[in-house]
Amino acid sequence: MLGRGLKRKLSDYEESMAGLSCAFDSSRGLPYPLKRQLVLNMCLTKLQTYKMLVEPNLHRSVLIANTVRQIQEEMRQESNQQPVNICPGIAPASHSYAGMESPGISLQLPSGVGQQESHCCDLRSVEDPIENSLLIVSDDDMSSAISSILKDLDFVEDISPPTCLVPTGDDQPKFPENTGLKLEDDRQDLKGAECVFGSFEISNSTSYLKDLAIDDIFEDIDTSMYDSDFCCPPLMPPRSPSLATEEPLKTFPSCNSSSANNIQICRTDLSELDHIMEILVGS
Amino acid sequence: FLAGFGSLMQDVLWCFSQVKGTIDAGVTESDIISTVEFNHTGELLATGDKGGRVVIFQREQESKNQPHRRGEYNVYSTFQSHEPEFDYLKSLEIEEKINKIRWLPQQNAAYFLLSTNDKTVKLWKVSERDKRPEGYNLKDEDGRLRDPSMITVLRVPVLRPMDLMVEATPRRVFANAHTYHINSISVNSDYETYMSADDLRINLWNFEITNQSFNIVDIKPANMEELTEVITAAEFHPHHCNTFVYSSSKGTIRLCDMRTAALCDRHAKFFEEPEDPSNRSFFSEIISSISDVKFSHSGRYIMTRDYLTVKVWDLNMENRPIETYQVHDYLRSKLCSLYENDCIFDKFECVWNGSDSVIMTGSYNNFFRMFDRNTKRDVTLEASRENSKPRAILKPRKVCVGGKRRKDEISVDSLDFSKKILHTAWHPSENIIAVAATNNLYIFQDKVN
Repeated sequence: MLGRGLKRKLSDYEESMAGLSCAFDSSRGLPYPLKRQLVLNMCLTKLQTYKMLVEPNLHRSVLIANTVRQIQEEMRQESNQQPVNICPGIAPASHSYAGMESPGISLQLPSGVGQQESHCCDLRSVEDPIENSLLIVSDDDMSSAISSILKDLDFVEDISPPTCLVPTGDDQPKFPENTGLKLEDDRQDLKGAECVFGSFEISNSTSYLKDLAIDDIFEDIDTSMYDSDFCCPPLMPPRSPSLATEEPLKTFPSCNSSSANNIQICRTDLSELDHIMEILVGS
Repeated sequence: FLAGFGSLMQDVLWCFSQVKGTIDAGVTESDIISTVEFNHTGELLATGDKGGRVVIFQREQESKNQPHRRGEYNVYSTFQSHEPEFDYLKSLEIEEKINKIRWLPQQNAAYFLLSTNDKTVKLWKVSERDKRPEGYNLKDEDGRLRDPSMITVLRVPVLRPMDLMVEATPRRVFANAHTYHINSISVNSDYETYMSADDLRINLWNFEITNQSFNIVDIKPANMEELTEVITAAEFHPHHCNTFVYSSSKGTIRLCDMRTAALCDRHAKFFEEPEDPSNRSFFSEIISSISDVKFSHSGRYIMTRDYLTVKVWDLNMENRPIETYQVHDYLRSKLCSLYENDCIFDKFECVWNGSDSVIMTGSYNNFFRMFDRNTKRDVTLEASRENSKPRAILKPRKVCVGGKRRKDEISVDSLDFSKKILHTAWHPSENIIAVAATNNLYIFQDKVN
């Protein structure tokens, strides 16, 4: 543990992590592959934590991702040089990371107890319980993990590519002829293409809208008034679902007048409402 | 009287002068100082904090009666520069923390400074009012309108002295130009333009124009998956208005000339030191990330700060620094723990003294370090309340690396990593330094003999 005055949440995981990192620092005796594995675990844990933040720190994410890549490359080179020693009974399965479905890398936290299931090409022998108690992650897992994290960063950070010209407030955007701007346009095209591939999460959200039945969107708007023959006051156009729940009752004064005039007005208004609904629904 | 100007380390004794901020044990997060900067004459000292406030101190006139009190700094103006914002489009909170303050050179009676948070740069005008007009015809002293029919005599309003009032007004707001977090701003030597840098882009602004900026550096890859490097700091050359440098997370510095192209993606010079294989570790890249870059006052050198060292580079030599100073090399064996608790990502700044002969940077346990480039001597000092008696001379501190710890030394494992000195400033011409220790601002001066 380092220093006094550090506020740290005490959890089993953090304690064991701290213990391991101290072991890393102080012990010369830890074998290199074990040290490497420890660092890798820490990196992946951090990346996973950042993934859950609304706005991960880009600088840190890049540094950690680079460290993971570096370790990955080293492990790859080692495995190229040595014959692969597959743990008996466990087939090396390469998962494509479901940076997609799952919240990220499913880490088994090192609790130091027993063996964990490992899916990978691992050089170490099965008999060493300490080594096997740490998470062992395959190459593809790491690559996909890094990719998904960086892609997500893009989604979170840079929805609209920047232009040379940045309109603020009420100002009309101006577009001077400028070679600098032209270069920027080219880059924008590239970025536009990038947005197409963008993050999986973007396409997820648009399909959500398509899948939903139109009626469901307007479910919580109270349309009971339109069903009756009674007069209705001047109608407001249907609001979006998020606002509908708050205000509809306030904007509709009670309709208890039964004069013929009102009925005439109501019927006109109803057809207007139908018209508006048609436009909104796009049928 | 410029005591100590260009003096050698052995002749300089640093003394406590003042401390600003509360002594309370519980520090509110918003009081944490996030930037410190002297103006070009050293008359004003500005601090920004995590709560978005700017506090400006002014040096009082030196009095002949008390020559040993070489001008104390007192509060001159306090204002709220940035407020917390919410980006509705991305559902993100924008922190009001002031990342950097930079002064403009004084051109009239008013003072101007730039302050920035993660997304928005603001130009503030700080001006004094010590007179007010009295004797209006149409309204009385309370401001109430007079009945015109009751006015029989006309008079000319006269300016009368009033209590000094210092007002800060936002004159320009430069917004919506940065997708990523702004880490640096730098005023150009032409005093007409400035730049703002975020993780991936650098924009050039004209002070008069807030609705457009020119993008001069863009390192964002077409595919974010290929991102391996971010911009960490940027600064204009002090004399050549077409030249600037920016540092990266890979420990490199690029010098760019704006005359060559509108988009300065190709550097004019590239500064990188080859890696020392004997020091290689898993954390090599992380600790090589440059947290600050500063031109010397002369413009001949740049200084960079990475996690463990400060380096001085000659602009004419790109392949390695001319000087490297170890700030706290004893941390090299603790990197894994420091990585685990995120301290390895702390961004320390570095500063030059007025004559470029001494450089200063912060460390942990409220320690800060100075390196004399000529004598190669260095000293470790501490900003703490215990050493805060007026004009008390600061005693050099020492960290014990291993083996027997002497009486005054502190062992590495006893260092308090929550007390970090990230921000320091050096008066442009005198030996006066400002050191930010969490929520306290310490001012030290050299001893007047």
